[in-house]
Amino acid sequence: MKSIASHQMKVYWPLYVMAIPGMIFLIVFKFIPLAGAVIAFKDYSVFRGFIDSPWVGFKHFETLLQHPDFLRVFSNTLLLGLFKLTIVFPVPVLLALMINEIRKSALKKGIQTALYIPHFLSWVIVGGILFDFFSLSGMFNIILGWFGTEPVLAMQESAYFRPIYVLASIWKDAGWGTVVYMAAISAIDPQLYESAMIDGASRFRQIRHITFPILLPTVLVLFLLDIGNFLDLGFDQVYNLLTPMTYNVGDILDTYVFRTGIQQGQYSFATAVGLFQSVIGFIMVYTFNKLSNKISDGGLW
Amino acid sequence: MLASKSEKTFGAVITGLLILFSIIALIPLLSVISTSLSSKSAVDMNLVTLWPKQFTFDSWKYIVDRPDLWKSFFLTLSTTLIGTILALLMTALFAYPLSKPEFRWGSVIMMAVVVAMIFKAPIVPYFLTVRGIGLYDNPLVLIVPHILNPFNLIIMRTFFKQFSKELEEAAFLEGCGYFRMLFQFVLPLSKAVLATLALFYGVVLWNQFQHPLFFLQDTNWFPLQIKIRQFITDDSVIMSGAASTAQLNYNERTLRAATVIFAIVPIIVVYPFLQKYFVKGAMIGSVKG
Repeated sequence: MKSIASHQMKVYWPLYVMAIPGMIFLIVFKFIPLAGAVIAFKDYSVFRGFIDSPWVGFKHFETLLQHPDFLRVFSNTLLLGLFKLTIVFPVPVLLALMINEIRKSALKKGIQTALYIPHFLSWVIVGGILFDFFSLSGMFNIILGWFGTEPVLAMQESAYFRPIYVLASIWKDAGWGTVVYMAAISAIDPQLYESAMIDGASRFRQIRHITFPILLPTVLVLFLLDIGNFLDLGFDQVYNLLTPMTYNVGDILDTYVFRTGIQQGQYSFATAVGLFQSVIGFIMVYTFNKLSNKISDGGLW
Repeated sequence: MLASKSEKTFGAVITGLLILFSIIALIPLLSVISTSLSSKSAVDMNLVTLWPKQFTFDSWKYIVDRPDLWKSFFLTLSTTLIGTILALLMTALFAYPLSKPEFRWGSVIMMAVVVAMIFKAPIVPYFLTVRGIGLYDNPLVLIVPHILNPFNLIIMRTFFKQFSKELEEAAFLEGCGYFRMLFQFVLPLSKAVLATLALFYGVVLWNQFQHPLFFLQDTNWFPLQIKIRQFITDDSVIMSGAASTAQLNYNERTLRAATVIFAIVPIIVVYPFLQKYFVKGAMIGSVKG
């Protein structure tokens, strides 16, 4: 046994050396912070660190559940997450099915280019574009003006925050989301379509009976992954669309953790909030995975 | 095969809809570009929609003359370039052994990689760890946390796995070691995946906002996104140094528009060159392995 191990090291040592930087990176930036989540059950003190800070059990979770802010923030997060799953998620699937119907490749490429571009802009930039678009003399109000409607400062109105959030999500990432689906579609055997055409199936029927069913497992896997990140709405996005006027509807767990944890230094409390978020995500994935295993065999595990 | 009439209508409707969506996707961008190229009075009188009115470069001149903006620009440009190169190196070095069956801990480490990809560390312990290793208020925080991404690692490993064994075995018989193998044979043959990952890493590094917001206090190290965020939210920052006369041909809004476009230009310039690669790269990544 020992000689095998030493032979292994003699010949293959470069492989082990190569892997060292990557492993250090994963440990420092992924696993130590993951293990550091224990401070949700401790009273973290900067001087004592993750390990030596005293245990306090579920104290921070109890504070959390009784906190009046928390309910508001949690329901905001829940609602936006729900919108994301039900409204934003299906858009790339539909777009991919539509793009696949375009036969002229130059046109197809042009459409894809236009739809992909917003994905590469940062949320700061998208925020800037939206604040400009919705400003008093911006295009949104100019168009409203054509219909004789009074101008509104949409970015500063609570009523507009959720629609803007949803539309901005679609605008930025729906095009990019089609990439994976287009890849799955391109792997479909063309013979399936040929025989369907001989049987006289229309293009719409081909989508319904060939393309969509083949796409479904991919859709399901991505949906499950999305459910896992259900409460993870993206800090950059919400932070850059939020104004003091829209706090009541737009303050979410991520921005709340930033304020309480990073800015006010309530480290243990904010970690408890973050952990709560992850646990809910895990329960959601677990439940829906069970469900999808029952319905079809397209679960994650 | 001749398409029936309803088939043709179906195709035409879909084409029409998609062209409409593409235009809608570009409208907000066009509107900001026009704002940045219009005069203050045209903007104030609600005249600007998709085309610039009373065309002027004045906002652009003011933006392009700002040394603080260029400072952030070059800081972001250099951290993006250095970070991307380091990230490709780190990812390749780690992905290569993971693609080899003779690397004995491979499957265990791959599981760790997948765990790291799925479970996001809570932000506060992450903040404390990164601060603990001395990256607080340290410009290196703009690079170091971004040089390895588990998802990109899996893409590269999948790509490396497709290489033929024969080529490697022949080279090994000639006495070539793993390091030379990686740098002289494998990487030069991996241009497609390197270009894709360069784009993925580059965009993240260029667009990063959360890390500098959390970790940097010193305004000298503010990257472009933080600077632009200040321009968007703080009138005094964007107008600082501007003459306070009423004859100016720009206002906060046209300046903001120009800043936003200023930060997009590099992405728009690089985009066409990399476009042919990233779809391929995303396809490799979507194949589970």
